[in-house]
Amino acid sequence: MSDERTPQVPTEEGRAQDPWGAQGGPALTPRGTPQKAPVTARRGDEIHAFPETAVGEGDVRTAGEAGPARGTSLWRDAWKRLLRNRLAVFGMFVVGFIAVAVLVGPAIIKAATGFTYDYIPPGQAVSYPPFTSPEGAFSWTHPMGTDAAGRDMLARVLQGGRISLMVGVISTFVSILIGVTWGATAGYLGGKVDDLLMRIVDVLYAIPYMMIVIVLLAFFGGRTPLQQIFLLFAALGAVSWLTMARIVRGQVISLKNQEYVLAARATGVSTPKIIFRHIVPNALGPVIVYATLTIPSVMLQEAFLSFLGLGVQAPYASWGSLAQEGIQNIAVFPWQLIFPGVTMALTLFSLNFLGDGLRDALDPQMRKF
Amino acid sequence: MFRFIVRRLLVTVPMVLVVITLTWALIRLAPGNFYASERKLPPAIEKNIRTKYGLDQPWYVQYGRVMRNIMTLDFGNSLRYESETVNDVLKRTVPVSAAVGICAYLLALLVGTTMGTLAALKQNSKLDYAAMGLSMLGISMPNFVLGPLLVLVFSLSLYWLPPARWGGFPSRSIVLPVLTLSAIYMAYIARLTRAGMLEVLRSDYIRTARAKGLTERQVVLRHALRGGLLPVVSFTGPALAILITGTVVVERIFALPGLGTYFINANLNRDEPLILGIVAFTSILVLVFNLIVDIAYGFIDPRIRY
Amino acid sequence: MTARKTTRILTFVFVAASLLAACGPPVQKSEFFGKVEPPPGQTLRYITGSEPESLDPAMSSGQPEARIDVALYEGLVEYHPKTMEPIPGVAESWKVNGNASEFVFFLRHNAKFSNGDPITARDFVYSFKRGLRPELASRVAFLAWEIKDAEAYNTGGAFVRDPKTGRFVLASEAEESGGGGAAEQTTAAATGEDAAPDTEFHRRMHQPNRLFVPTDEKERAKAFKANPKLAALVEGKELVPATADDVGVEAVDDYTLRITLRQPAPYFMGLVQHQFFRVVHEKTVEKYGVNWTKPGNIVCSGTHMLAEHKPYNELVVVKNPYYWDAAQVKLDKIVFYPLDDQTTMMNLYKAGEVDATYNHTVPSAWLRAGLRQASDYMDAPENGSVYWQINTTAPPMNDKRVRKAFAMAIDRDALEKFRVVSKANNVFVPSGILHGYPSPKGYDLDIEGAKKLLADAGYKDASGKFDASKFPATSVEVIYNTNESNRQVAEFIQAQWKQNLGLTIGLRAIEWKTFLSTRAKLEYKGFAGGAGWSGDYMDPYTYLGLFATEGGDNGTGWYDPKFVDMLNAANREPDQAKRYAMLSKAEEYLLDNAPIIPLTKPATSWMKKPYVKGMYPNAATLHAWKFVYIEHDPAKWDRGMPDMTTDQLAEVKE
Repeated sequence: MSDERTPQVPTEEGRAQDPWGAQGGPALTPRGTPQKAPVTARRGDEIHAFPETAVGEGDVRTAGEAGPARGTSLWRDAWKRLLRNRLAVFGMFVVGFIAVAVLVGPAIIKAATGFTYDYIPPGQAVSYPPFTSPEGAFSWTHPMGTDAAGRDMLARVLQGGRISLMVGVISTFVSILIGVTWGATAGYLGGKVDDLLMRIVDVLYAIPYMMIVIVLLAFFGGRTPLQQIFLLFAALGAVSWLTMARIVRGQVISLKNQEYVLAARATGVSTPKIIFRHIVPNALGPVIVYATLTIPSVMLQEAFLSFLGLGVQAPYASWGSLAQEGIQNIAVFPWQLIFPGVTMALTLFSLNFLGDGLRDALDPQMRKF
Repeated sequence: MFRFIVRRLLVTVPMVLVVITLTWALIRLAPGNFYASERKLPPAIEKNIRTKYGLDQPWYVQYGRVMRNIMTLDFGNSLRYESETVNDVLKRTVPVSAAVGICAYLLALLVGTTMGTLAALKQNSKLDYAAMGLSMLGISMPNFVLGPLLVLVFSLSLYWLPPARWGGFPSRSIVLPVLTLSAIYMAYIARLTRAGMLEVLRSDYIRTARAKGLTERQVVLRHALRGGLLPVVSFTGPALAILITGTVVVERIFALPGLGTYFINANLNRDEPLILGIVAFTSILVLVFNLIVDIAYGFIDPRIRY
Repeated sequence: MTARKTTRILTFVFVAASLLAACGPPVQKSEFFGKVEPPPGQTLRYITGSEPESLDPAMSSGQPEARIDVALYEGLVEYHPKTMEPIPGVAESWKVNGNASEFVFFLRHNAKFSNGDPITARDFVYSFKRGLRPELASRVAFLAWEIKDAEAYNTGGAFVRDPKTGRFVLASEAEESGGGGAAEQTTAAATGEDAAPDTEFHRRMHQPNRLFVPTDEKERAKAFKANPKLAALVEGKELVPATADDVGVEAVDDYTLRITLRQPAPYFMGLVQHQFFRVVHEKTVEKYGVNWTKPGNIVCSGTHMLAEHKPYNELVVVKNPYYWDAAQVKLDKIVFYPLDDQTTMMNLYKAGEVDATYNHTVPSAWLRAGLRQASDYMDAPENGSVYWQINTTAPPMNDKRVRKAFAMAIDRDALEKFRVVSKANNVFVPSGILHGYPSPKGYDLDIEGAKKLLADAGYKDASGKFDASKFPATSVEVIYNTNESNRQVAEFIQAQWKQNLGLTIGLRAIEWKTFLSTRAKLEYKGFAGGAGWSGDYMDPYTYLGLFATEGGDNGTGWYDPKFVDMLNAANREPDQAKRYAMLSKAEEYLLDNAPIIPLTKPATSWMKKPYVKGMYPNAATLHAWKFVYIEHDPAKWDRGMPDMTTDQLAEVKE
């Protein structure tokens, strides 16, 4: 792994989750066989465990009850469990609120005050503190103040949220798409194919991904800022699927020898059906958890790329790029860091709660605590 | 076991070669070159430079040179910093990154395991909530925000610690980078420990230990910790490899002359030998660390077989 | 933790953050910024910018290296700490001939290297010729191309000789336009017998310039293609490769150095201050090769010598006891910190960990918040120009009316206010910086004029008025290399064009090396922002010369032989005022063709603690270190900027 990935902690963690992936050892949380599973094999799941969320709800189930045999009810069950988890609901609420604010907010601000993320007022650029009018009196015009060029921070934070969330969601989707396909193929087919596919993942880990981004942007450099942003999604997604592939592969390996899969195979169920009806739904828990972790990870990666000048294009901004800008002025205009920083941290905080809740909901084994 | 190690080591060599080849291809694909600067050079001067560094030779000759370099583990001189060999750079920067990384990891280990163990023992207490809330915050706070905040408080307001630069090891200048870097690891380790301990504390052998009449302290220190820390061990390998190879953002915020700083600049400067040398070093290190962790695992947990 | 509790905590965090944010910008209340505590003794801690690429003065081109090289090596002349004019260095005095094509330097007899070896004229001859070696491949060697036959040697050229008569083909014979200029320069007056005795070599130097062609066959074929006349001239002749002995530098005796140029270059005295022309120690360089600049190997010639070099960390120089003027050198030690992150260096400065920074180090937001009023803030108009380049080869920007229209639709005064530090500049050569240079009339804000030009270029509606919708705005974009101030300028100008012309031009930031490659290959459409040029010397030619070479420096695709002729004619003019007027005419011609959009002239903008004396806000922010010292008596500290109105330097400390 090249060192420039290090600021994005979930990536490191994701790697740490699966040192087994490379040699086909026990994978993450093999469900259904808790007694046989080495304690250590749980480590991946436990990283983000917040097990107390389940305590006191008196809802201890066994694997069999929530097992894949119940088909679609798995989802309803999971949803019910999720709703019972107050922190997860809280996380969901916050993320939902921010998503809505980011979607409709800029239009409301424009209607209310006339400011947009890229409007530079004429004359000398002045940074107003929050709730301050040009005369220094209290005012609702700029609730988050203005940035170094005099642009409304609230409008920029909301617009930046659009890009950051989009970067998070789209890149994560790309990473799920490639990662699940790659990992499931490697895990289920095993043997030489598995070896080859996973060596490719290892090699890709080691290539300096900054060079990849430089080359990508140089060759497909967007003509418009929007095209550039989509290219960024692709670039970020293309590198964040690696860990996903490892996780999925580990899951699939541990699942494919489970009794119920063997039973399905014995009764003559076709291979694709086994994979998609029996294995993939069971592997989804870690996938979803890791996906919620990938979102913050790519958001931070995007910030890092902006830090190097390879991220979103001006006058667009992202939370990451806003925070970068704010850091430079932290000693004089602290609000330029605080608002994007706090909004970003709040979103990530909520996403972590949501991810923990989802994992708990989808993986009833964890609920024994 | 032995066969497993040999197989893994054997596969490492071709993998590093593939990594180097692909990286080299990427560098060649990337626009720009190491000597370009604001003033465009007269073509004749450019020709002198290309001749001097063998850039006018066919690609397979240049590739052959790269392969020879990696085989002999001598990457030659940096293109941008002509009087420095890549190996000099590695020799000088790895200790810096490693000092910061290992200190950060030890700190994280100490605080994280303590926090995690206490939280697990007092599950659902205020202490537990505080510890876990803090670690969640640690995970959500980007280090490029945390670092400057620490600087603002400890260097610019209190004037206690230098805000940046490397003052050697040990020195006061290492404190802030270590704190910034360790925050996130502290958070992870605390959560890992807590989860591991919770699981172990409910296991049969702990019940047995308690039934034997051992004190709680003995139960925890002698029996539970060993099992509860296993997840932390698995986390240590890759994390340490990454920490030793430098963490770019922290090195940048604090202007540390570590491997990460060099690597970023080498990429931006298209300094081919330096990029290749660092990539070779880090990929070998990461692969070897992963291997060591896998082996160590077998010793700690006898249930695991290869 | 319940959700309610979490909500409460988060609410608290948010409110606390808002309060903290609302407390407003900390206005600069104290007289100085941050901690003011002189380090003990005479040690200066200085931030130089990026890690120096090389400590070999012949190899580096940048300012970060120049700041260090000024300490390590001395040249014939040194920079005046205030005016940047040449002051005596190793050369005690010098003589220039009538048309500035020959320079004779008289070296002081007591100049020594840091190992005690004397510095003689031969050392300079060695240093110059070594810098020109093709196999050294110095990137800045072209600075010395003005020296006679230096280009031929440096680029691996060969002279063309008729084997029968032994006569060399002259450069003038190959000139496409027939060339009266070349003939004229051959008659350049020598410096005369009183300056230095005539020699065989000297007479050779005053022969007309010889033609040279690339020795390399492929290159030569290319040259023939470019100039068909060449092939005929070379046909049947023998090629004589140029050697170091051909280069027009001569040690007349141990302490007299004569430099002959290929053509008049009145700015040459400014050029020899550059680090490329500083003297290096032959034995050391030859012995250690590429490692000669390592501590332990290196032998220096400047006020200080290298003691320690930890790349990306610090570089320590200590006083050179053999320096001829060592009694005047007050700093025992200078510690250079290679740093290029503004926030980091301002933090170090505030915390009192460094004593001074280099130019452009104060973030503009900090200045707006009051740092400008601090008594340790240094500012001076800079010998530099910030402009955007235009790709003149692709439509619609291949029409000079369109280019001019875009240049005219920018309110530079507003830009000046917006940028805080930079000053508006509507011409290419920064106005008011070069004494006596009359700037031509530049681009002023003229929205109607701009619209009319665009309408003339065909972007009009039925009534003949400019119609923004007709302009292919999407086939034009602004590329710039990523950095904070480039981005701000780009955003501002984007807003200006939107407001004044109704045209929205997209912005694209790209990474530096990609940017350079894109610009050099003319792969961009429209504008390339972020170009800034700091003059190499105090003369308009350092700017105008950028556009005098085809496929050379400019990255705009604009090359006009007429412009080049105007420059050459001006350089042959011995009278400074007349020469400046001619150069000004040339600049006017350049602006009329508008391959660039001039924007601002930067200001130096840096910080220095009040106890650092003898360090002046000069136009290039290069400091001759022998004048700098640490003042421990607070009564004598600088409060505000040092007096720059006289050439007088701060009084020497007792």
